Amino acid sequence: MANVSNVTRLRETPAHTAVEVSNLNHVYEGREGKVAALEDISLTIEAGRFVVIVGPSGCGKTSLLMMLAGLRRQTSGTILCAGRPIVDPDPERVGVVFQEASLFPWLSALDNVEFPMALRKAPKDERRRRADEMLNLVGLQGFGGRYPHELSGGMKQRVSIARGLVQDPPVLLMDEPFAALDEQTRMTMGHELLRIWSQTNKTVVFITHSLTEAVYLADEVLVMSARPGRIIDRIPITLPRPRNYEMMASDVFGRLRDRIWQQIRTTP
Amino acid sequence: MSRIGIIAVRFALLAAVLAAWELLPRLGIVNAMLLPPLSDVVPMLGDILARPKVHEAIGVSAAEFAVAFVIAVPLGTAIGVLSAENEYFGEIFKPMLFYVFSVPKSIFLPMFILVFGIGFQQKVAYAAFSTIFVVIMSASAAVESVKAEHLLVARSYGATRRQVLTRVYIPSMTPVLLEALRISMIFNFTGVMIAEMYASRTGIGQMISSWGENFQMPQLFAGVILLATVAIIFNETIRWFETRCSAWRT
Repeated sequence: MANVSNVTRLRETPAHTAVEVSNLNHVYEGREGKVAALEDISLTIEAGRFVVIVGPSGCGKTSLLMMLAGLRRQTSGTILCAGRPIVDPDPERVGVVFQEASLFPWLSALDNVEFPMALRKAPKDERRRRADEMLNLVGLQGFGGRYPHELSGGMKQRVSIARGLVQDPPVLLMDEPFAALDEQTRMTMGHELLRIWSQTNKTVVFITHSLTEAVYLADEVLVMSARPGRIIDRIPITLPRPRNYEMMASDVFGRLRDRIWQQIRTTP
Repeated sequence: MSRIGIIAVRFALLAAVLAAWELLPRLGIVNAMLLPPLSDVVPMLGDILARPKVHEAIGVSAAEFAVAFVIAVPLGTAIGVLSAENEYFGEIFKPMLFYVFSVPKSIFLPMFILVFGIGFQQKVAYAAFSTIFVVIMSASAAVESVKAEHLLVARSYGATRRQVLTRVYIPSMTPVLLEALRISMIFNFTGVMIAEMYASRTGIGQMISSWGENFQMPQLFAGVILLATVAIIFNETIRWFETRCSAWRT
């Protein structure tokens, strides 16, 4: 990381490993026998990094994320998070932000954010205080009483992010969180996410189909191949932080975007 | 149009119907023997409500309704939930349930009479039978209305099985189940009335049937008003709960 040292890392981050995946393979029983979904995935993510995973549809990105979240079990290989293996969902270590429509429509924004804490029966006032803090962090102060159907798509995903952060896990996994948003809202949300990330020091693993979004957000982009999903390239994003919209027009941005595109395009 | 305007028009329409009911037979435009004027029917309603025989009949019908409901709703809900949750059970029973659901239940009434004889059991059994299929369908629809994303969210935040049930399944299903309850009430009420009108010695349905056969039109219409009122009150009460529990469903 010498080439990006002083500009990329604005924050002092202790160089320790947040997530470590070694020799992960996944095979599932399909209609026509066994299908290799993920093949020999090994990766190390340092704490505080923003890592984006891209790849063609059906390459197993979401499966990989589900395994990182402990929601699905890999066939072989290990996943370590904070030095301990992930076997079951552990909200203390990993928060997850899903695609749209994952908020509970019968709960207000505030209750949705409190949900993870309510599950582990945290005291009411602590829950409320923490959830309020998170809503403020994501820029939704005063919206706690609204129900999901009263919020815009972008606001709903802000609530989802607040919910993912409410238990203060070191790692935040995001599965195409802005895929359903319109282009403008998506850009704004990406920028907002970087602000939230820089304020919270989280390690983020973010899945997307959008190459622009990938380059704009990431410290590092991992490119996956079509099934069986393998990691075929790791591209450090050398753009300085804080990022701004003007960078999207720069040559560096274009070249990085193109490099990822070439990788995805040529994958069989 | 404003809310008040709409309500005003509704009342105007109701008033027009009631006025027609009163005036058409009075003016001799329709036969007063077939449609007795409203002003004859309303006192008759008071009159029949004061008769001990009518009280007894209402008591019998209400008991049949209650017992059939207590049988059909929990049993139907259990079967519906099972057929939606258990793949094997669903594969086997769902097609059959769909077929039977489409058949008019009243054609089975003679068999109920042969099996149970004429009486309380036959009417309860028939009413429960005619209700249970709609409960099964609605309950399985209620389970299917639970979103996979919501279950995944709950699991990812470490919800136990019990928490998944109380915090995801139940709130997701409540509006659909309340709707099911309301519709099953309508089916159940219909079932009791049909069983009583077809062959029975007691019950309000039997009374209505016999008033009709004996051409006692004021009594018949009074009975109709009575039952319609009861049905509407039931229906609206549950609908009120439904709206309260499903403000989020848009």
